[in-house]
Amino acid sequence: MSDITPVDPAALREEVKKKYRDVAIKPNDTYHFHTGRRLAARLGYDSMIVDGMPDEAVEAFAGVANPFSLRDLKPGERVVDLGSGAGFDCFFAAGKVGSAGHVIGIDMTKEMLTKSRNTAQSMGLRNVEFREGIIEELPVEDGWADVVISNGVINLCADKRRVFAEIGRVVKSGGHLQFADIANGRPVPASAVANVDLWTA
Amino acid sequence: MIEDSGFIDVRIGPPVDTFGGAKGEPNARKFEVLGYAFIARKP
Repeated sequence: MSDITPVDPAALREEVKKKYRDVAIKPNDTYHFHTGRRLAARLGYDSMIVDGMPDEAVEAFAGVANPFSLRDLKPGERVVDLGSGAGFDCFFAAGKVGSAGHVIGIDMTKEMLTKSRNTAQSMGLRNVEFREGIIEELPVEDGWADVVISNGVINLCADKRRVFAEIGRVVKSGGHLQFADIANGRPVPASAVANVDLWTA
Repeated sequence: MIEDSGFIDVRIGPPVDTFGGAKGEPNARKFEVLGYAFIARKP
């Protein structure tokens, strides 16, 4: 994951919104990545938990690995999910932290926020909320979180150092950052890195 | 970058073939793009 991003952050943000707006509205279409229950199984999510979720909580899931694979969440923990999308990881986390814990999902795509809020309501979850915002400027107070999670989102940000600085601001001392993302083993040509259309292709 | 932000005890999980069988697989193979889980702690 490189922090050198020769693209316009606003243009990249709009491209990402466009792509994930489509995923929110048409989760069963074919994308360049897997989605939904098949993806969750592929990434090793606990099937006992996923199987208990309604389709609307899982169908638009588009993560890249499992942020809970290296450390399980604990009851009572406060969690922030960067780029929460349709809410799958938030719903998964909500079950882990229980009623004494709380989960805040942050997303910039209105269609995803609408979908995740509706799903949380239909699931009767009272320990999850979704806030509109960008992850370079998290709408979360200093030191609020025990854990920050994210799944396949940080690589889509132009200013990764700013994202990590924000994570450091909202995580309390002793807290954890546990996230999933992609990394490339071979260098991507500079011309491709500079093409904002290819970031989500 | 994670450590630069003040986190310690950074660990990375095993690679996951995130794009295998998906439309994006050719590009993922070309640049060896894989998924990883990361964990770090704030001291």
